[in-house]
Amino acid sequence: MPAKKTSKSNHPPTTSFLLEIGSEELPWQVIQPAMAQLAQLMAGFLETHRLSHDRIRTFGTPRRLAVLVQGLAPRQTPALQEALGPSKAVAFDAQGRPTKAAEGFAKSQGVDVGELEIRETPKGVYLYAVKREKGLPAATVLNEHLPGLLQRLTFPKTMKWNASGIRYPRPVRWLVGLVGGRGLSFEFAGVRSGAHTWGHRFMSRGKPGVTNKGILVRRPDLYEAALARGGVVVDPAKRREALAAQLKQLARSVKGRVYQANYEDLLDQAVFSLECPNILSGTFDKAYLAVPAEVLIASMEEHQGFFSVVNRKGALLPRFFAPTNMNVKNMELIAVGNERVLAARLADARYFFDEDRKTKLDDRVSDLNGVVFHKKLGSLYDKTQRMINLAYDLAESVGDSQMIPLCSRAARLSKADLVTGMVGEFPTLQGVMGEKYAAHDGERAEVCQAIGEYYRPRTPDDAIPETAAGRLLALLDRLDTLAAFFYAGIVPSGSEDPFGLRRSAFGVIRIVVEAGLNINLARVVRQAEQRLAAQGVKAGGHAGPPLQTFLEERLRYYGRTVTGFREDVMESVLGRADAAGCDLRDLFLRMEALQAITSQPDFESLIVGFKRAHRIVEKEAWTSKTVEAALLTHHTERTLHEAVEAAGRAVGQALDARDYHGALKQLIGLKSPIDQFFDGVLVNAPEPDVRANRLSLLRQVDDLFSAFGDLSQIQVQGQ
Amino acid sequence: MTVQNLILSLHQFWSKHDCIICQPYDLEKGAGTFNPATFLRALGPEPWRAAYVEPCRRPTDGRYGENPNRLQHYYQYQVVIKPCVDTIQSLYLDSLSTLGIDPRKHDIQFRQDDWESPTLGAWGLGWEVRLDGMEITQFTYFQEAGGHTLDPVTVELTYGTERIAMYLQGVDNVYDLRWSDDVSYRDLFHDSEIQFSRYHFEVADVAMIRTTFDACEAECRTLLEKDLVLPAYDYCMKSSHLFNVLDARGALSVAERTGYIGRVRGLARGCADAYVERRKSLGFPLLAGAGVEPGSP
Repeated sequence: MPAKKTSKSNHPPTTSFLLEIGSEELPWQVIQPAMAQLAQLMAGFLETHRLSHDRIRTFGTPRRLAVLVQGLAPRQTPALQEALGPSKAVAFDAQGRPTKAAEGFAKSQGVDVGELEIRETPKGVYLYAVKREKGLPAATVLNEHLPGLLQRLTFPKTMKWNASGIRYPRPVRWLVGLVGGRGLSFEFAGVRSGAHTWGHRFMSRGKPGVTNKGILVRRPDLYEAALARGGVVVDPAKRREALAAQLKQLARSVKGRVYQANYEDLLDQAVFSLECPNILSGTFDKAYLAVPAEVLIASMEEHQGFFSVVNRKGALLPRFFAPTNMNVKNMELIAVGNERVLAARLADARYFFDEDRKTKLDDRVSDLNGVVFHKKLGSLYDKTQRMINLAYDLAESVGDSQMIPLCSRAARLSKADLVTGMVGEFPTLQGVMGEKYAAHDGERAEVCQAIGEYYRPRTPDDAIPETAAGRLLALLDRLDTLAAFFYAGIVPSGSEDPFGLRRSAFGVIRIVVEAGLNINLARVVRQAEQRLAAQGVKAGGHAGPPLQTFLEERLRYYGRTVTGFREDVMESVLGRADAAGCDLRDLFLRMEALQAITSQPDFESLIVGFKRAHRIVEKEAWTSKTVEAALLTHHTERTLHEAVEAAGRAVGQALDARDYHGALKQLIGLKSPIDQFFDGVLVNAPEPDVRANRLSLLRQVDDLFSAFGDLSQIQVQGQ
Repeated sequence: MTVQNLILSLHQFWSKHDCIICQPYDLEKGAGTFNPATFLRALGPEPWRAAYVEPCRRPTDGRYGENPNRLQHYYQYQVVIKPCVDTIQSLYLDSLSTLGIDPRKHDIQFRQDDWESPTLGAWGLGWEVRLDGMEITQFTYFQEAGGHTLDPVTVELTYGTERIAMYLQGVDNVYDLRWSDDVSYRDLFHDSEIQFSRYHFEVADVAMIRTTFDACEAECRTLLEKDLVLPAYDYCMKSSHLFNVLDARGALSVAERTGYIGRVRGLARGCADAYVERRKSLGFPLLAGAGVEPGSP
């Protein structure tokens, strides 16, 4: 990105430039990214073409993308190109006439031989070709190159519509190109640029300055104002501001507030779906409030893009705020229409709610046979059966046998809401409806709640389930999914993760870490594999070690992005993770303790000392740990030996108690003895038995440190 | 405005804008797109402008006449224009005005809704048009059909006839619509909804339909080999409808469903290939009046 270039007094006065691409209605999601792209492309374009400028602003509505460049130089900056040629000695013969070498060089540079300059350089006297390129007028450059720039805009989905063969998300219908007060003349997608734009589809007609040719933009900096006359707020930030203010005010007027959960997404959708931002307030029949609020909200948000309103206590009000693209005196007609549409939607939702409750969730479980989980992994019924079995193993792993009946029941019912009419209509209500229907069927409260929350965390910011049963069910579901895909050999690679396995694994990490669950996942995964085999699923890969590595990688990602652990801290712990078990929470606690101690003043020098010991032991491949007290001749040896023995016991106890802070504190205590040892004695003593004894002592030190993790991975400054 | 007047107004409007007023095709189909006047005519270089009412059958949407908004049989009003014209959006809006919908008093929005038909091997980009929040029209620029990239591009407008009529008449129940001044939608179609819902959900003979599907599929293939693409396409349409009946009857597992869709798509592709070949062998007759040479951009 080029830096902003400000023109100083010795430059001619600057101008401004406007480009608008008018089209049929773009999908709202593409507008913001396209604006960013346009700004970036334009900056690069101006840089490449030596057109200095100040601010670049972009605008966008469903019917237009625009870019306004302020402080544009009216001409390109002149360019000076210098090319080094042959040396003077080679370029001229004895008579001082140019040789073939000089002529060849001049020709290759497109200049006359006579124009070549002779310059003294540190390496000798050489010929130079110097070309001064006069800057072209900005308008000339833009006319020639804008079509190419426009073709470089990329979108997720594009179409063709005419013989130009140009691809764009929807047909391009007009183009505005202006430099200062003058229209550009270029063609793109079969459309010629001009100085006229179009206002709001319906509200600009008959407004002053609006003709059957559209609205004349007299100067680039009058663009926003011209469109404002045509009923269009072209700056998305202003539309957002207007909508937000209106929503707030409308909510206040009914003593409520706008429901917040998906507020930002809905607002984005409204901002980029409208040219004239306006909110309509409407109501629906209070009788629908008997349907769960989640369902009503989903009906309003997902189908209609409406905002919902809650009272101060958070209860849903029988109202909605609908974004509309019209602002006319009589909004009644539009309001009535929207109310009728919503009423039909809510009637549908109530119908599903009533119908669904006629069948118990338990009776729907067998219908899951008809829903494929994955073609290699059976149906959702098969998955449910595996989850029920896994519930026993997992509840046992956390040592809470009370959980077994709750978890296995919740597991049995967990997927049954997927075959209800409501979830068929609103997939986002999975879990939510399961909880409601389970409660209606008279299931235990813990079971209902577990079903209601086991999809959490749905996003990286979402909270984990609150109840113990909910957490276990959430783990069951994800661990079965992970084990199953790994078992079948379907694993994420690169950016490809079609089944969201990274997200599932991240959910596992968050739950075990944030809920503090110590579980031997390796064991649970082994059991999951056995269930898969028992169901006749074909093994295409392995769940065990690769899945363990996969989970550890996600833990590393968690440490990096959530807790901000140092990479070397994580490597020390994860590089040494137990292959037989996989207690992710334990690994997390170790990393946490190690991270905490890195900030202690003695830590770095401790590690320097330890690494010295470690390197010596490693180089010698020393295996003996037998230290003979009689051979400890120097007092620093004896001090270290005593310190290691004492710390050894204490570290062992602390590690057993998972008191990793305590264990590391013990190690810190070894700093002085280690340093003094290296100051006091030479390990390579001339007497072989003394040398051997010292090596064994260092081996003890190394072992003691290694009991915690591979601390040799820790990076020390200056090392 | 009665339903029949609505249809007549649209006929008049699109006839005035150089569309042939076609009649519905005499086979069952799930959408107006299946009519050869859309699916086949969208293929190849020949220009085409047509408008027609199409009765559509969606067996799974049957509700025994009890749901005020859902029907297993209803009418689409279909407009297809190839090559698509630059002013198509305003033409469409004008057609609404002739129905008495003044765009300056309502909120009409073009909301992204990309269309795809897995059975026809077709897709396009476009919108659902919303009138005060209600979806009234599907608006699509076809990009591909029967596996063929379309050039020139056909634009398709599919009006939800009943939806628009309900809006205009201010009724909340489709059966309360006035078809004519003194005959209601209920009078005409309520019993048919009950009977066909029962048939599709409870009675249809699954074994017979499966056999018939196989026979239609085989016949389509045979006819394609004999260079009889139009009769072949009839059997493709019949297969598609029979699949819809099996689906509504709950006779298909997920895997089977995918299999059937693939089989219909195979037929549709075969027909598309054969149709383009056939028109080519005839010298693309409709190009003659269009002043366009085949193969020109």
